[in-house]
Amino acid sequence: MILSCNENLNEMNLITYITDPAGLQKFYEAVISTHATFAPVETFGKFDYKPVTSLSECDPGSPVPLTRSMKPLFFPKSAKIMKYVTTSEGTAVSDTVDDPLAGKRVILGVKHCDARALQVLDHVYKWDYLDTDYEKRRENTLLVSVRCDEAARHCFCTSLDWDVEHTDAVDVAVIKGLDGKVYIQARSEKGTLLLEQHPPGEDDTSGSSAEEIRKQYASFAGSFRLSMDYKTVSAKMKNSFDSPAFEEASSNCISCNTCAFVCPTCHCFKISDEKIRDEGVRYKSYDSCNNVYFTLMAGGHNPRLVKYRRWRQRAMHKFSYYKERFGVNLCVGCGKCTVSCPVNISIFEMVNQVADTIVTASQSCE
Amino acid sequence: MMDYTNQIQDIAGKLFSEGKIDVFIGYRNTGFDTNQVPALITHYKDVDQLVFNEKSDFNLTNYLKYEHTRNKRIGLVVKGCDSRALNLMLTENQINRDRLYIVGIACEGVVNELGGKAQNCLECIMPDAVVFDELLGNPTGKREYKINTDVSELTGKSLIERGILFEEVFENCIRCNACRHSCPLCYCAKCCIDQETSTLYHGANTTSGAFHALMTWSLHLAGRCVDCRNCEKACPSHLPLHLLHKQNEQVIYENFQQHLAGMIRDDRGAFYKYSLSDPDDFIM
Amino acid sequence: MEAEVNDQIVSIEKPHLIAPAGWQPLIVGILCNWCSYAGSDLTGTSRTQYPPNIRIIRVPCSSRVDPWFIIKALQTTADGVLVSGCHPGDCHYITGNYYARRRFLVTKKLLNFVGIHEDRVQFSWVSAAEGTKFAQVVAKVTGDIKKLGPLHLYKKENRNK
Repeated sequence: MILSCNENLNEMNLITYITDPAGLQKFYEAVISTHATFAPVETFGKFDYKPVTSLSECDPGSPVPLTRSMKPLFFPKSAKIMKYVTTSEGTAVSDTVDDPLAGKRVILGVKHCDARALQVLDHVYKWDYLDTDYEKRRENTLLVSVRCDEAARHCFCTSLDWDVEHTDAVDVAVIKGLDGKVYIQARSEKGTLLLEQHPPGEDDTSGSSAEEIRKQYASFAGSFRLSMDYKTVSAKMKNSFDSPAFEEASSNCISCNTCAFVCPTCHCFKISDEKIRDEGVRYKSYDSCNNVYFTLMAGGHNPRLVKYRRWRQRAMHKFSYYKERFGVNLCVGCGKCTVSCPVNISIFEMVNQVADTIVTASQSCE
Repeated sequence: MMDYTNQIQDIAGKLFSEGKIDVFIGYRNTGFDTNQVPALITHYKDVDQLVFNEKSDFNLTNYLKYEHTRNKRIGLVVKGCDSRALNLMLTENQINRDRLYIVGIACEGVVNELGGKAQNCLECIMPDAVVFDELLGNPTGKREYKINTDVSELTGKSLIERGILFEEVFENCIRCNACRHSCPLCYCAKCCIDQETSTLYHGANTTSGAFHALMTWSLHLAGRCVDCRNCEKACPSHLPLHLLHKQNEQVIYENFQQHLAGMIRDDRGAFYKYSLSDPDDFIM
Repeated sequence: MEAEVNDQIVSIEKPHLIAPAGWQPLIVGILCNWCSYAGSDLTGTSRTQYPPNIRIIRVPCSSRVDPWFIIKALQTTADGVLVSGCHPGDCHYITGNYYARRRFLVTKKLLNFVGIHEDRVQFSWVSAAEGTKFAQVVAKVTGDIKKLGPLHLYKKENRNK
């Protein structure tokens, strides 16, 4: 069981640099000029992580609700896993396919929830067999995060089972202090090396930054609109298979697959072959358990033909089954599913309804 | 600002108490957000959750597809564009008129996320419900057809510029199929572009696959699309899908006797009719 | 370095994308069984020469042609598509080609709208007696596509890249 909060990370021992916004920009520019870098780039009004060659192309501080996760950089929407060519001598199969995502890279502007999602996914990708593509991408990536200043409407990361304040899911954490300074903290060896390579400001050897960082976290934690009693919900979810609340809560779902595709922890996939004449490529692409035909079997039986069963499966997988198997929740509380849902279904609302712990938002709507 | 919350609650309450419907489809606020979401009310006691105002934008006829409401008797709230989609569904025999109680709205336009009037409402051709059992509001009648501003802007650009824009559009499609699931007129149980159901096409999520899927989808909807923008709002990649649909609508309007989808009951989509004087000069 | 070549942007480093010497276009021809296919048959039996770049698919009627086919052809290997049917009024199924010509116009315009040149998708009415016309039609389409060069926009699997 992986520790969900890093008890070893003693904040006093973390290497922290103090700088200002201008220094932060210089740090980003230095990183971009020396490493293959991905950062949030705006496309059609939302931010995706794309390769950048200069700071002007991207916005590492992109707004939370509009930023899609960096899951596509580890589990792309469509990945080639095999190639084959048929000739008169037979069929040659090769599974070394150029993986554009396997090189060493730095990702800027990561949100802590998305980084935590990768830690959560690590369990399943190493579980019954090691997914070498994913592992390579994880190994070769350095995550530089920007800790959120305040929670967005649908965020509830602080209500779950992971330590948002001290998480070691990122390698470098950039924290914008309430005093106007910027604190850049290394949270892993890789992060320490990067900061030694490009020191962004003064090294805080006195440990005075710890207080400011705590203050920023307190302000951030106080800005949440949503909070829930995770322990109660988690305990109740175990026995909630027959709850009628699933049907009610999912009645307006249109089974469109969006939530699973944008969720940073969802990992369902499908395999498909595409060929032209004698050459073919096998792809692994996103799939969603919300789809009507996800559980369609050869022979025609479909145990989850009715909609609420699919939602029950989704909520239980995230809050119950994964926890039982791996000890961590499969949901990190980022709220992306709710933001993208055409009918605003919220998994937060649903699990609370099921566990009968329905709470009203702590601030009024807008 | 239109607000028919009270009237709709009264109508729904009456229908339930008279035992005329099994489910009432309207809008409600969530306690967790400012958006309005579709509500499928099945009990009399939940009727006071219903609301209707200028934020009620989702096209509710989407829930008339079999998988959502099966064979139930349905009460439904429709605005102008929604009712045109309903007309088409009735024309295409997707639902029995006897099972429906339709509350039509003479719509004044819905607002988008930024608070301004939505683009499709600014270019609306028919704000009043065209099929209803009861009409709320003051009907203002059919308006003149306007060419979509984005489409006319793009038409003025060069072929290559359009190619660059659309390449980015198709590259960002993640083939989630939210667009077709939220479109009321996409009711095919075996959709030819949905990789789960298609017997023709098991595509991966590539740019080329997205080109094929989105183009085919918009051409299958051509002459049937009512511009409700459900698809665009559902798209998680925020793709400007209205460009494809409005382009088709314009070509059809200008060339095929000013046909507009769903205005008249029993008037099928543009591709289900023909005229002996249809333009032919592009054919050798 | 990129340049505009005919109807697409092509990278200068990939000269094979700009109609290299010896490149031949591939045109998919979707012909209706009763008129156009018979017409092409007549072209063959009369020994009238036409460019060999066309690959013919036989359908029962031009209204069988779904935009799905045209787009699929362009997405995979074709550089151009020709769809041919009976003359209006002479459709074997009476009204098929009337419906078809509506679909053709909208498809052509939409493809142009997304960046595929209009000349890549062409249509014709060829009757069973018009052997020479069919040859002329194919020659025209082949000539137009040769001028435009290979299509690589939206190609499957970035085939040509």
